[in-house]
Amino acid sequence: MTPNWLLDLVAAFTLVVAGVSAARLAVARPWRAGSVIIDTDIAHLLMAIAMAGMLTPSLRTFPSAVWEVIFAGLIVLFGFRVVRDARANGLRALAAGHCAPHLVHSASMLYMFLAIGPVGGSAGAAGMTGMSGMSGSMELLKYPTLAFVFTLILIGYGIWDLDQLSGKRYSLSSARMPLAGIRATPAPALAGAEPAAAASSGPPPEGRAAGAARPAAGNADGRAFPADPDAVGGGAGGDGTGAVGGRAGQFLLSPAVTVGARVVMGAAMAFMLLILI
Amino acid sequence: MSEVAVAAGGRAALRGRLGSEAPSAAVRPDTRRALQLGLAAIWLLDGVLQYQPFMYTKAFARSLAAAAAGNPAVIARPITWDATLVGHHLVLLNTIFATIQLLLGVGIAFRPTVRLALAASVAWSLGVWWFGEGLGGVLNGGADLVNGGPGAVILYALLAVLLWPADRPGKPAPCIAARAVGAPVARALWLVLWLSFGCSALLPANRAPQAINGMIVSMNSGQPGWLAAILRAAAALVAGQGLATSIVLAVACAVVAVGVYLPRRAAAAGLALAIVMAVVVWVAAQALGGILASGATDPNSGPLLVLLALAYWPARRRPARPAAPSAAAAAGSLVG
Repeated sequence: MTPNWLLDLVAAFTLVVAGVSAARLAVARPWRAGSVIIDTDIAHLLMAIAMAGMLTPSLRTFPSAVWEVIFAGLIVLFGFRVVRDARANGLRALAAGHCAPHLVHSASMLYMFLAIGPVGGSAGAAGMTGMSGMSGSMELLKYPTLAFVFTLILIGYGIWDLDQLSGKRYSLSSARMPLAGIRATPAPALAGAEPAAAASSGPPPEGRAAGAARPAAGNADGRAFPADPDAVGGGAGGDGTGAVGGRAGQFLLSPAVTVGARVVMGAAMAFMLLILI
Repeated sequence: MSEVAVAAGGRAALRGRLGSEAPSAAVRPDTRRALQLGLAAIWLLDGVLQYQPFMYTKAFARSLAAAAAGNPAVIARPITWDATLVGHHLVLLNTIFATIQLLLGVGIAFRPTVRLALAASVAWSLGVWWFGEGLGGVLNGGADLVNGGPGAVILYALLAVLLWPADRPGKPAPCIAARAVGAPVARALWLVLWLSFGCSALLPANRAPQAINGMIVSMNSGQPGWLAAILRAAAALVAGQGLATSIVLAVACAVVAVGVYLPRRAAAAGLALAIVMAVVVWVAAQALGGILASGATDPNSGPLLVLLALAYWPARRRPARPAAPSAAAAAGSLVG
């Protein structure tokens, strides 16, 4: 069977992601008036805690039913966004937007919670006794084809993210771009955003520079953000990000950190899916 | 969709949630880079598969030892030694194996390390081909396209060489596979590979009446219903038809092998045939590498043959341009 220390190690990785996501939320201070939450960080936080509980029984938090409701909710949220994004940007949104990977992550989590159970007589039932705290019983996933499909998609997104990370698509700094704590602002405030020149939820049309694709508004996956740093909720830290923590905060809120967290989550999820087949 | 319009529409509070990634435009990979990413994905899948519970049992060490059977002593002895070593340090060594494969996938996907990872993958593949697959049954007559011979892992090495991020000077390569090694070498490698498939199909062990049927039936255990049904149908189709099936396979392999030497359209048709054969064999004979039944160390040769065929796909003819800037060519060759 897969050694427990390995499962604990993967659980530790997911907890690191949970910690990073929690820190991002804290730095972004989404509770301030006029601020809004960072959905992907909350999704990462929840997934990481749930996965750690599945990998290591002592880290279990809520019953499976609660997690199923949570992930069903996330599926609805990200599904809605993906549909909206796909209508606006076509199928490219599935490949390049950030909602589609999170939709797959959420669906994978829901599938794992729904499909896991004691299975006897399987060729691969070499033992997953530590999973889900059901010590002593072997737990595998029903409908392994689905697990395989999810794994392939997760690996695909992970590889794509790694390529894009190393291709400098994602910044390591949030200094020029408010990343959190956005207060709703009227459209004129969006104009002239420098990051808008580089922002797009999908690849730009052939032959067009990224900046040409979105002339005015900052667009992070189908959502708007203001260009004016003063428009950012909070404003502490003096960096225009609305975040606290100075450079460390900026790094923490950088797109690269989010994408890095997504890669780790995807890899951990693929690991769980395959060892449970 | 216009985000400005959204914000102006008074729904900014709802939609104004900031995408934490806030990406710039996607860095669009060229075809070779896309194929490298495909290879990286398969390495990553391999790595994760290696962490499966089955690999931490003595059965894994036994499967390694079984690769020695039928091989000459000089090949078999190191395999037996390796299998014994793995049996004694199963957890440690298997974890190292899995992590190496994981890192190969990550390394190929990460642009700054692509050369290092591709080079390492060649060395690793050759090692696994010998110690893990007994040279894929080449020396004991067991290699066959249907069962993944001459070893899926050697295809990783071949792909790493063909997708190496470099370009030979001179006229444009006719396909991605020829960019690093040149068209004659690339075509010769394809010819040798597919002719070897064809020849192995005609070996006595593979043309026996129930040989292919037996290979397919052996993959059926533990498969989900839909895949088991496909395997049963395929097994029934070739039952007692070993010789005829082998001849058909050999002829098809020969057509594919020489296809790359033909004009563009005919070459594309041969490559399409190769892709169809790879997919059919992968699903109906290799059972997706046995992944769904657990205990598979890799997805077998099907996906790799598809990647390989795509690497040989004839490049589009482009209208001649006056003196392409060399700087752009150099930048393009950095990662593929």
